[in-house]
Amino acid sequence: MKKLSVIIAFILSFGYSGAQSAGLYELNAGITAQKTQKLYWENGLGVDFTSDFLFGKRIHLKTALITSRLGSAFRSNAINQESFTLGADWRFFSRKPLQIFTGFNAGYFMAHYDDPEFDDLANSSPLVQLDAGLIYRFAFPLSLSASLGYNFITSNGEQGPGTLFPLFYQFKLYYRIK
Amino acid sequence: MKTDRIYLLFLLFIFVSCNKMPEIDNNTMLDGDQIFDISLVQPERFLISARYPAPSALQKDIPVIIAAHGYTATTFEWDELRDYADSTGTFYVSQVLLGGHGRSYEEFRKSTWKDWQASIRDEYKKLSRLGYKNIYLAGSSTGCPLIINLIQDGFFENLTKPKKIFLIDPIVISSNKTLTMVNALGPVLGYTSVELTDGEQGKWYVYRPYETLKQLMKLIDLTRKELQSGIRLPQNTKLKTYKSTSDGSADPVSAVLIYKGMKHADGTPVEVEMVDSKLHVFTRLRGRDGVTEKDKALQMKTFKEMEQAMIHP
Repeated sequence: MKKLSVIIAFILSFGYSGAQSAGLYELNAGITAQKTQKLYWENGLGVDFTSDFLFGKRIHLKTALITSRLGSAFRSNAINQESFTLGADWRFFSRKPLQIFTGFNAGYFMAHYDDPEFDDLANSSPLVQLDAGLIYRFAFPLSLSASLGYNFITSNGEQGPGTLFPLFYQFKLYYRIK
Repeated sequence: MKTDRIYLLFLLFIFVSCNKMPEIDNNTMLDGDQIFDISLVQPERFLISARYPAPSALQKDIPVIIAAHGYTATTFEWDELRDYADSTGTFYVSQVLLGGHGRSYEEFRKSTWKDWQASIRDEYKKLSRLGYKNIYLAGSSTGCPLIINLIQDGFFENLTKPKKIFLIDPIVISSNKTLTMVNALGPVLGYTSVELTDGEQGKWYVYRPYETLKQLMKLIDLTRKELQSGIRLPQNTKLKTYKSTSDGSADPVSAVLIYKGMKHADGTPVEVEMVDSKLHVFTRLRGRDGVTEKDKALQMKTFKEMEQAMIHP
Protein backbone atom coordinates (compact mmCIF):
# COMPACT_ATOMS: atom_id res chain seq x y z
CA MET A 1 0.00 0.00 0.00
CA LYS A 2 2.85 2.34 0.94
CA LYS A 3 4.67 1.40 -2.25
CA LEU A 4 1.59 2.16 -4.31
CA SER A 5 1.22 5.59 -2.68
CA VAL A 6 4.85 6.41 -3.49
CA ILE A 7 4.37 5.35 -7.10
CA ILE A 8 1.19 7.43 -7.45
CA ALA A 9 2.87 10.46 -5.82
CA PHE A 10 5.83 10.06 -8.19
CA ILE A 11 3.61 9.90 -11.28
CA LEU A 12 1.57 12.90 -10.15
CA SER A 13 4.63 15.04 -9.40
CA PHE A 14 6.23 13.95 -12.67
CA GLY A 15 3.05 14.88 -14.49
CA TYR A 16 2.75 18.22 -12.74
CA SER A 17 6.24 19.36 -13.78
CA GLY A 18 5.45 19.00 -17.44
CA ALA A 19 1.78 19.74 -17.55
CA GLN A 20 2.09 23.41 -18.36
CA SER A 21 1.55 24.11 -22.00
CA ALA A 22 3.42 27.12 -23.31
CA GLY A 23 2.14 27.11 -26.92
CA LEU A 24 -0.44 29.52 -28.29
CA TYR A 25 -2.71 26.66 -29.09
CA GLU A 26 -2.95 22.98 -28.34
CA LEU A 27 -4.27 20.09 -30.36
CA ASN A 28 -5.00 16.65 -28.91
CA ALA A 29 -6.37 13.60 -30.70
CA GLY A 30 -6.89 9.99 -29.82
CA ILE A 31 -9.18 7.21 -28.77
CA THR A 32 -12.65 7.74 -27.31
CA ALA A 33 -14.39 4.83 -25.61
CA GLN A 34 -18.00 5.10 -24.45
CA LYS A 35 -20.05 2.71 -22.35
CA THR A 36 -23.75 3.43 -22.23
CA GLN A 37 -25.43 2.42 -18.98
CA LYS A 38 -27.12 -0.97 -19.61
CA LEU A 39 -26.19 -0.94 -23.29
CA TYR A 40 -23.20 -0.96 -25.62
CA TRP A 41 -19.56 -0.09 -25.78
CA GLU A 42 -19.03 2.34 -28.65
CA ASN A 43 -15.50 3.36 -29.54
CA GLY A 44 -13.90 5.74 -32.00
CA LEU A 45 -11.75 8.79 -32.44
CA GLY A 46 -11.83 12.29 -31.01
CA VAL A 47 -10.05 15.62 -31.33
CA ASP A 48 -9.70 18.39 -28.76
CA PHE A 49 -8.49 21.92 -29.47
CA THR A 50 -7.76 24.89 -27.23
CA SER A 51 -5.93 28.18 -27.48
CA ASP A 52 -4.83 31.08 -25.31
CA PHE A 53 -7.63 33.03 -26.98
CA LEU A 54 -10.16 30.63 -25.43
CA PHE A 55 -10.06 32.13 -21.93
CA GLY A 56 -6.46 31.10 -21.45
CA LYS A 57 -7.12 27.52 -22.57
CA ARG A 58 -9.98 27.11 -20.16
CA ILE A 59 -12.36 26.39 -23.03
CA HIS A 60 -11.68 23.31 -25.13
CA LEU A 61 -13.47 22.64 -28.39
CA LYS A 62 -13.99 18.98 -29.14
CA THR A 63 -15.38 16.54 -31.65
CA ALA A 64 -15.77 12.77 -31.64
CA LEU A 65 -17.07 9.96 -33.84
CA ILE A 66 -17.85 6.70 -32.10
CA THR A 67 -19.47 3.50 -33.32
CA SER A 68 -20.66 0.23 -31.83
CA ARG A 69 -18.96 -1.47 -34.81
CA LEU A 70 -15.68 -0.94 -32.92
CA GLY A 71 -17.33 -1.98 -29.66
CA SER A 72 -20.22 -4.24 -28.72
CA ALA A 73 -21.32 -4.87 -32.31
CA PHE A 74 -17.88 -6.18 -33.33
CA ARG A 75 -18.53 -9.81 -34.29
CA SER A 76 -21.84 -9.89 -32.39
CA ASN A 77 -25.55 -9.33 -33.02
CA ALA A 78 -25.61 -5.89 -31.40
CA ILE A 79 -27.04 -3.06 -33.46
CA ASN A 80 -24.57 -1.05 -35.52
CA GLN A 81 -24.85 2.60 -34.53
CA GLU A 82 -22.81 5.78 -34.75
CA SER A 83 -22.69 9.07 -32.88
CA PHE A 84 -20.99 12.22 -34.10
CA THR A 85 -20.63 15.11 -31.65
CA LEU A 86 -19.23 18.64 -31.55
CA GLY A 87 -18.89 20.42 -28.25
CA ALA A 88 -17.01 22.55 -25.79
CA ASP A 89 -15.63 21.99 -22.29
CA TRP A 90 -14.80 24.37 -19.51
CA ARG A 91 -11.68 23.33 -17.64
CA PHE A 92 -11.17 24.05 -13.97
CA PHE A 93 -7.55 24.13 -12.75
CA SER A 94 -6.48 24.39 -16.38
CA ARG A 95 -2.81 24.90 -15.46
CA LYS A 96 -2.71 21.83 -13.23
CA PRO A 97 -2.09 18.26 -14.42
CA LEU A 98 -5.32 17.04 -12.86
CA GLN A 99 -8.24 19.06 -14.18
CA ILE A 100 -11.99 18.97 -13.78
CA PHE A 101 -14.10 19.63 -16.80
CA THR A 102 -17.74 20.03 -17.67
CA GLY A 103 -19.06 20.42 -21.17
CA PHE A 104 -21.85 20.47 -23.68
CA ASN A 105 -22.15 18.45 -26.89
CA ALA A 106 -24.51 18.53 -29.82
CA GLY A 107 -24.50 16.01 -32.61
CA TYR A 108 -26.24 13.27 -34.50
CA PHE A 109 -27.04 9.62 -33.80
CA MET A 110 -27.80 6.93 -36.34
CA ALA A 111 -28.64 3.23 -35.96
CA HIS A 112 -28.84 0.56 -38.68
CA TYR A 113 -31.49 -2.15 -38.35
CA ASP A 114 -30.40 -4.15 -41.41
CA ASP A 115 -33.86 -5.35 -42.54
CA PRO A 116 -36.68 -3.62 -44.46
CA GLU A 117 -39.22 -4.91 -41.88
CA PHE A 118 -37.90 -2.24 -39.53
CA ASP A 119 -38.01 0.65 -42.00
CA ASP A 120 -40.87 2.31 -40.09
CA LEU A 121 -38.86 2.55 -36.88
CA ALA A 122 -37.00 5.74 -36.03
CA ASN A 123 -33.28 5.18 -36.48
CA SER A 124 -31.75 8.64 -36.15
CA SER A 125 -31.86 11.55 -33.76
CA PRO A 126 -30.10 14.77 -32.87
CA LEU A 127 -27.92 14.55 -29.78
CA VAL A 128 -27.82 17.03 -26.91
CA GLN A 129 -25.50 16.06 -24.08
CA LEU A 130 -23.93 17.35 -20.91
CA ASP A 131 -20.87 15.73 -19.43
CA ALA A 132 -18.43 16.24 -16.60
CA GLY A 133 -15.32 14.46 -15.47
CA LEU A 134 -11.64 14.43 -14.68
CA ILE A 135 -8.66 14.66 -16.98
CA TYR A 136 -5.04 13.99 -16.18
CA ARG A 137 -2.32 15.46 -18.37
CA PHE A 138 0.91 13.54 -18.15
CA ALA A 139 4.35 15.13 -18.65
CA PHE A 140 4.76 13.03 -21.75
CA PRO A 141 2.29 14.08 -24.45
CA LEU A 142 -0.67 12.01 -23.31
CA SER A 143 -3.82 12.77 -21.39
CA LEU A 144 -6.38 10.43 -19.89
CA SER A 145 -9.93 11.39 -19.00
CA ALA A 146 -13.02 9.80 -17.52
CA SER A 147 -16.42 11.42 -17.52
CA LEU A 148 -20.11 10.87 -16.92
CA GLY A 149 -22.55 12.12 -19.55
CA TYR A 150 -26.27 12.52 -19.99
CA ASN A 151 -28.28 12.46 -23.22
CA PHE A 152 -31.21 14.85 -23.04
CA ILE A 153 -32.86 13.36 -26.12
CA THR A 154 -33.67 9.67 -25.84
CA SER A 155 -36.39 7.40 -27.18
CA ASN A 156 -39.67 6.54 -25.47
CA GLY A 157 -40.94 3.73 -27.68
CA GLU A 158 -43.14 6.14 -29.62
CA GLN A 159 -40.44 8.36 -31.05
CA GLY A 160 -36.69 8.28 -31.30
CA PRO A 161 -34.33 5.38 -31.92
CA GLY A 162 -34.71 2.72 -29.23
CA THR A 163 -31.01 2.31 -28.49
CA LEU A 164 -30.44 5.96 -27.58
CA PHE A 165 -30.10 5.76 -23.79
CA PRO A 166 -29.61 8.58 -21.28
CA LEU A 167 -26.56 7.78 -19.18
CA PHE A 168 -23.06 7.11 -20.51
CA TYR A 169 -19.46 6.96 -19.34
CA GLN A 170 -16.59 8.13 -21.55
CA PHE A 171 -12.91 7.44 -21.44
CA LYS A 172 -10.39 9.25 -23.64
CA LEU A 173 -6.73 8.64 -24.25
CA TYR A 174 -5.38 11.54 -26.27
CA TYR A 175 -1.99 12.35 -27.72
CA ARG A 176 -0.82 15.93 -27.65
CA ILE A 177 0.01 16.68 -31.29
CA LYS A 178 0.88 20.36 -30.75
CA MET B 1 -20.45 20.71 11.42
CA LYS B 2 -23.01 22.10 9.00
CA THR B 3 -21.82 19.64 6.36
CA ASP B 4 -22.30 16.79 8.83
CA ARG B 5 -25.90 17.86 9.43
CA ILE B 6 -26.64 18.03 5.73
CA TYR B 7 -25.10 14.58 5.31
CA LEU B 8 -27.23 13.19 8.15
CA LEU B 9 -30.35 14.76 6.69
CA PHE B 10 -29.52 13.20 3.33
CA LEU B 11 -29.07 9.77 4.94
CA LEU B 12 -32.36 10.22 6.80
CA PHE B 13 -34.06 11.14 3.52
CA ILE B 14 -32.69 7.98 1.86
CA PHE B 15 -33.76 5.88 4.86
CA VAL B 16 -37.28 7.32 4.85
CA SER B 17 -37.51 6.89 1.08
CA CYS B 18 -36.43 3.24 1.31
CA ASN B 19 -39.26 2.51 3.69
CA LYS B 20 -41.93 4.12 1.59
CA MET B 21 -45.02 1.95 1.39
CA PRO B 22 -47.79 2.81 -1.03
CA GLU B 23 -51.33 3.36 0.14
CA ILE B 24 -53.12 0.22 -0.92
CA ASP B 25 -56.89 -0.04 -1.16
CA ASN B 26 -57.52 -3.69 -0.26
CA ASN B 27 -61.06 -3.60 -1.65
CA THR B 28 -60.15 -2.61 -5.20
CA MET B 29 -56.45 -3.26 -5.74
CA LEU B 30 -54.68 -6.47 -6.65
CA ASP B 31 -51.80 -5.12 -4.56
CA GLY B 32 -53.86 -5.63 -1.38
CA ASP B 33 -54.64 -8.74 0.63
CA GLN B 34 -58.24 -9.33 -0.55
CA ILE B 35 -58.06 -9.69 -4.35
CA PHE B 36 -56.09 -12.54 -5.94
CA ASP B 37 -55.80 -14.00 -9.40
CA ILE B 38 -58.51 -16.66 -9.76
CA SER B 39 -56.01 -19.20 -11.07
CA LEU B 40 -54.59 -19.48 -7.53
CA VAL B 41 -57.83 -20.97 -6.24
CA GLN B 42 -59.13 -22.60 -9.39
CA PRO B 43 -56.04 -23.78 -11.32
CA GLU B 44 -58.11 -26.25 -13.35
CA ARG B 45 -59.79 -23.31 -15.07
CA PHE B 46 -56.46 -22.00 -16.29
CA LEU B 47 -53.86 -24.77 -16.44
CA ILE B 48 -54.30 -27.64 -18.86
CA SER B 49 -52.16 -29.89 -16.66
CA ALA B 50 -54.71 -29.38 -13.87
CA ARG B 51 -57.78 -29.62 -16.12
CA TYR B 52 -56.71 -32.79 -17.94
CA PRO B 53 -54.18 -34.50 -15.65
CA ALA B 54 -54.77 -37.85 -17.38
CA PRO B 55 -55.17 -36.94 -21.06
CA SER B 56 -56.56 -39.42 -23.56
CA ALA B 57 -54.59 -40.29 -26.71
CA LEU B 58 -56.79 -37.85 -28.61
CA GLN B 59 -56.20 -35.04 -26.11
CA LYS B 60 -52.46 -35.57 -26.25
CA ASP B 61 -52.57 -34.72 -29.95
CA ILE B 62 -54.48 -31.47 -29.50
CA PRO B 63 -52.15 -28.44 -29.63
CA VAL B 64 -51.73 -26.76 -26.26
CA ILE B 65 -50.26 -23.31 -25.91
CA ILE B 66 -48.75 -22.12 -22.66
CA ALA B 67 -49.46 -18.38 -22.43
CA ALA B 68 -47.26 -16.26 -20.16
CA HIS B 69 -48.33 -12.72 -19.27
CA GLY B 70 -46.24 -9.63 -18.62
CA TYR B 71 -44.78 -7.74 -15.66
CA THR B 72 -47.46 -6.75 -13.07
CA ALA B 73 -50.23 -8.43 -15.11
CA THR B 74 -52.16 -11.64 -14.42
CA THR B 75 -53.69 -14.52 -16.39
CA PHE B 76 -56.33 -11.97 -17.50
CA GLU B 77 -53.92 -10.82 -20.22
CA TRP B 78 -54.52 -14.04 -22.17
CA ASP B 79 -58.25 -14.53 -21.42
CA GLU B 80 -59.25 -13.49 -24.93
CA LEU B 81 -57.01 -16.12 -26.54
CA ARG B 82 -58.58 -18.75 -24.27
CA ASP B 83 -62.06 -17.55 -25.27
CA TYR B 84 -61.03 -17.77 -28.91
CA ALA B 85 -59.69 -21.31 -28.39
CA ASP B 86 -62.89 -22.32 -26.58
CA SER B 87 -64.96 -20.98 -29.49
CA THR B 88 -62.99 -22.85 -32.16
CA GLY B 89 -62.22 -25.99 -30.13
CA THR B 90 -59.01 -26.45 -32.11
CA PHE B 91 -56.41 -25.93 -29.37
CA TYR B 92 -56.01 -25.55 -25.61
CA VAL B 93 -54.67 -22.51 -23.79
CA SER B 94 -52.83 -23.02 -20.53
CA GLN B 95 -52.65 -19.65 -18.78
CA VAL B 96 -49.81 -19.55 -16.31
CA LEU B 97 -49.67 -17.01 -13.52
CA LEU B 98 -46.10 -15.78 -13.15
CA GLY B 99 -44.56 -16.29 -9.71
CA GLY B 100 -44.98 -13.32 -7.37
CA HIS B 101 -47.86 -12.00 -9.50
CA GLY B 102 -51.58 -11.91 -8.79
CA ARG B 103 -51.02 -12.10 -5.02
CA SER B 104 -50.06 -9.04 -2.98
CA TYR B 105 -47.67 -6.09 -3.08
CA GLU B 106 -45.45 -7.69 -0.47
CA GLU B 107 -45.21 -11.04 -2.27
CA PHE B 108 -44.51 -9.25 -5.51
CA ARG B 109 -41.82 -7.08 -3.88
CA LYS B 110 -39.96 -10.15 -2.63
CA SER B 111 -40.05 -12.06 -5.93
CA THR B 112 -37.22 -12.41 -8.45
CA TRP B 113 -37.44 -12.88 -12.21
CA LYS B 114 -36.56 -16.54 -11.68
CA ASP B 115 -39.65 -16.84 -9.46
CA TRP B 116 -41.69 -15.25 -12.25
CA GLN B 117 -40.33 -17.82 -14.71
CA ALA B 118 -40.82 -20.84 -12.43
CA SER B 119 -44.53 -21.21 -13.24
CA ILE B 120 -43.79 -21.46 -16.99
CA ARG B 121 -41.18 -24.12 -16.28
CA ASP B 122 -43.57 -26.07 -14.02
CA GLU B 123 -46.44 -26.12 -16.48
CA TYR B 124 -44.20 -27.02 -19.42
CA LYS B 125 -42.62 -29.92 -17.53
CA LYS B 126 -46.04 -31.21 -16.44
CA LEU B 127 -47.49 -31.11 -19.96
CA SER B 128 -44.39 -32.74 -21.41
CA ARG B 129 -44.47 -35.53 -18.79
CA LEU B 130 -48.23 -36.04 -19.23
CA GLY B 131 -47.54 -36.82 -22.87
CA TYR B 132 -48.87 -33.76 -24.69
CA LYS B 133 -47.18 -33.91 -28.07
CA ASN B 134 -47.87 -30.51 -29.55
CA ILE B 135 -46.78 -27.87 -27.06
CA TYR B 136 -46.55 -24.21 -28.04
CA LEU B 137 -45.53 -21.14 -26.10
CA ALA B 138 -46.86 -17.60 -26.21
CA GLY B 139 -45.40 -14.70 -24.27
CA SER B 140 -46.54 -11.14 -23.94
CA SER B 141 -44.18 -8.36 -22.88
CA THR B 142 -42.04 -9.69 -19.97
CA GLY B 143 -43.34 -13.20 -20.66
CA CYS B 144 -41.11 -13.10 -23.77
CA PRO B 145 -37.66 -12.63 -22.19
CA LEU B 146 -38.68 -15.29 -19.66
CA ILE B 147 -39.30 -17.71 -22.55
CA ILE B 148 -36.14 -16.63 -24.42
CA ASN B 149 -34.15 -17.40 -21.28
CA LEU B 150 -35.61 -20.92 -21.19
CA ILE B 151 -34.21 -21.55 -24.67
CA GLN B 152 -30.81 -20.11 -23.80
CA ASP B 153 -30.78 -22.12 -20.59
CA GLY B 154 -31.28 -25.45 -22.45
CA PHE B 155 -34.51 -26.06 -20.54
CA PHE B 156 -36.11 -28.04 -23.40
CA GLU B 157 -33.22 -30.51 -23.82
CA ASN B 158 -34.90 -33.48 -22.10
CA LEU B 159 -38.48 -32.45 -22.75
CA THR B 160 -40.86 -32.42 -25.71
CA LYS B 161 -39.62 -29.57 -27.87
CA PRO B 162 -42.03 -26.67 -28.39
CA LYS B 163 -43.39 -26.60 -31.95
CA LYS B 164 -43.54 -22.85 -32.17
CA ILE B 165 -43.08 -19.82 -29.96
CA PHE B 166 -45.13 -16.64 -30.36
CA LEU B 167 -43.76 -13.42 -28.88
CA ILE B 168 -46.24 -10.55 -28.56
CA ASP B 169 -44.71 -7.13 -27.89
CA PRO B 170 -41.57 -8.56 -26.29
CA ILE B 171 -39.56 -6.32 -24.02
CA VAL B 172 -35.81 -6.43 -24.40
CA ILE B 173 -35.39 -2.66 -24.35
CA SER B 174 -37.74 -0.70 -22.14
CA SER B 175 -39.46 2.34 -23.63
CA ASN B 176 -38.93 4.12 -20.33
CA LYS B 177 -35.19 4.66 -20.37
CA THR B 178 -35.16 5.77 -16.73
CA LEU B 179 -35.32 2.04 -15.95
CA THR B 180 -31.61 1.87 -16.83
CA MET B 181 -30.94 4.02 -13.74
CA VAL B 182 -33.11 1.95 -11.37
CA ASN B 183 -30.18 0.89 -9.19
CA ALA B 184 -29.48 4.53 -8.31
CA LEU B 185 -32.99 5.97 -8.35
CA GLY B 186 -34.93 2.97 -7.04
CA PRO B 187 -34.04 3.27 -3.34
CA VAL B 188 -35.00 6.95 -3.42
CA LEU B 189 -38.31 6.40 -5.19
CA GLY B 190 -39.34 3.20 -3.37
CA TYR B 191 -41.94 2.37 -5.98
CA THR B 192 -43.70 3.72 -9.05
CA SER B 193 -47.38 3.52 -9.93
CA VAL B 194 -49.57 3.25 -13.03
CA GLU B 195 -53.06 4.42 -13.89
CA LEU B 196 -55.50 1.59 -14.58
CA THR B 197 -58.83 1.77 -16.35
CA ASP B 198 -61.95 0.56 -14.53
CA GLY B 199 -61.77 -2.68 -16.52
CA GLU B 200 -58.16 -3.25 -15.49
CA GLN B 201 -58.69 -2.66 -11.75
CA GLY B 202 -57.90 -5.76 -9.74
CA LYS B 203 -56.20 -7.41 -12.72
CA TRP B 204 -52.88 -5.55 -12.63
CA TYR B 205 -50.71 -4.35 -9.79
CA VAL B 206 -50.98 -0.57 -9.45
CA TYR B 207 -47.68 -0.23 -7.60
CA ARG B 208 -44.31 -1.34 -8.87
CA PRO B 209 -41.80 -1.81 -6.06
CA TYR B 210 -38.32 -0.79 -7.14
CA GLU B 211 -37.00 -4.22 -6.16
CA THR B 212 -39.10 -5.75 -8.95
CA LEU B 213 -38.10 -3.00 -11.38
CA LYS B 214 -34.49 -3.98 -10.65
CA GLN B 215 -35.42 -7.61 -11.39
CA LEU B 216 -37.06 -6.55 -14.65
CA MET B 217 -33.96 -4.59 -15.66
CA LYS B 218 -31.76 -7.54 -14.72
CA LEU B 219 -33.86 -9.89 -16.87
CA ILE B 220 -33.98 -7.69 -19.97
CA ASP B 221 -30.31 -6.78 -19.71
CA LEU B 222 -29.41 -10.47 -19.51
CA THR B 223 -31.68 -11.20 -22.49
CA ARG B 224 -30.08 -8.40 -24.53
CA LYS B 225 -26.62 -9.81 -23.83
CA GLU B 226 -27.73 -13.35 -24.68
CA LEU B 227 -29.21 -12.13 -27.96
CA GLN B 228 -26.02 -10.23 -28.65
CA SER B 229 -24.09 -13.50 -28.39
CA GLY B 230 -26.72 -15.38 -30.44
CA ILE B 231 -29.42 -17.89 -29.49
CA ARG B 232 -30.28 -21.03 -31.48
CA LEU B 233 -33.77 -22.47 -31.19
CA PRO B 234 -34.19 -26.20 -30.53
CA GLN B 235 -34.46 -28.50 -33.55
CA ASN B 236 -37.84 -28.06 -35.33
CA THR B 237 -38.95 -25.18 -33.10
CA LYS B 238 -40.10 -22.08 -34.95
CA LEU B 239 -40.55 -18.57 -33.61
CA LYS B 240 -42.55 -15.56 -34.63
CA THR B 241 -42.42 -12.08 -33.08
CA TYR B 242 -45.27 -9.60 -33.39
CA LYS B 243 -44.37 -6.06 -32.35
CA SER B 244 -46.34 -2.82 -32.28
CA THR B 245 -44.48 -0.07 -34.10
CA SER B 246 -45.35 2.39 -31.34
CA ASP B 247 -45.27 1.12 -27.78
CA GLY B 248 -44.88 3.09 -24.57
CA SER B 249 -43.74 0.05 -22.56
CA ALA B 250 -41.60 -2.24 -24.72
CA ASP B 251 -39.47 -0.31 -27.18
CA PRO B 252 -40.12 -1.51 -30.76
CA VAL B 253 -36.36 -1.90 -31.23
CA SER B 254 -36.72 -5.01 -29.03
CA ALA B 255 -37.97 -6.79 -32.17
CA VAL B 256 -34.77 -5.84 -34.02
CA LEU B 257 -32.65 -7.37 -31.26
CA ILE B 258 -34.67 -10.60 -31.32
CA TYR B 259 -34.51 -10.80 -35.12
CA LYS B 260 -30.75 -10.27 -35.13
CA GLY B 261 -30.08 -12.46 -32.10
CA MET B 262 -32.23 -15.55 -32.65
CA LYS B 263 -31.97 -18.18 -35.37
CA HIS B 264 -33.73 -21.45 -36.09
CA ALA B 265 -31.69 -24.61 -35.51
CA ASP B 266 -30.79 -24.70 -39.22
CA GLY B 267 -29.52 -21.11 -39.10
CA THR B 268 -32.46 -19.53 -40.92
CA PRO B 269 -33.86 -16.26 -39.54
CA VAL B 270 -36.86 -16.18 -37.24
CA GLU B 271 -40.08 -14.52 -38.37
CA VAL B 272 -40.93 -10.97 -37.31
CA GLU B 273 -43.93 -8.81 -38.09
CA MET B 274 -44.10 -5.15 -37.14
CA VAL B 275 -47.77 -4.36 -36.64
CA ASP B 276 -49.40 -0.97 -37.03
CA SER B 277 -50.58 -0.47 -33.45
CA LYS B 278 -49.94 1.86 -30.54
CA LEU B 279 -51.01 -0.66 -27.93
CA HIS B 280 -48.64 -2.55 -25.68
CA VAL B 281 -49.74 -6.20 -25.93
CA PHE B 282 -52.13 -5.49 -28.77
CA THR B 283 -53.70 -8.94 -28.38
CA ARG B 284 -55.28 -7.87 -25.07
CA LEU B 285 -58.19 -5.53 -25.64
CA ARG B 286 -60.49 -6.43 -22.75
CA GLY B 287 -60.47 -3.77 -20.05
CA ARG B 288 -59.00 -1.08 -22.29
CA ASP B 289 -60.68 2.21 -23.08
CA GLY B 290 -61.08 3.41 -26.65
CA VAL B 291 -60.64 0.10 -28.47
CA THR B 292 -61.11 0.59 -32.23
CA GLU B 293 -62.37 -1.73 -34.96
CA LYS B 294 -58.83 -1.77 -36.30
CA ASP B 295 -57.56 -3.03 -32.92
CA LYS B 296 -60.19 -5.79 -32.92
CA ALA B 297 -59.33 -6.81 -36.48
CA LEU B 298 -55.62 -6.99 -35.65
CA GLN B 299 -56.27 -9.08 -32.54
CA MET B 300 -58.47 -11.50 -34.48
CA LYS B 301 -56.01 -11.75 -37.38
CA THR B 302 -53.21 -12.62 -34.93
CA PHE B 303 -55.28 -15.24 -33.08
CA LYS B 304 -56.24 -16.83 -36.41
CA GLU B 305 -52.62 -16.91 -37.53
CA MET B 306 -51.61 -18.53 -34.26
CA GLU B 307 -54.39 -21.08 -34.62
CA GLN B 308 -53.43 -21.88 -38.22
CA ALA B 309 -49.79 -22.30 -37.20
CA MET B 310 -50.92 -24.82 -34.58
CA ILE B 311 -53.40 -26.86 -36.60
CA HIS B 312 -51.38 -26.78 -39.85
CA PRO B 313 -47.79 -26.65 -38.56
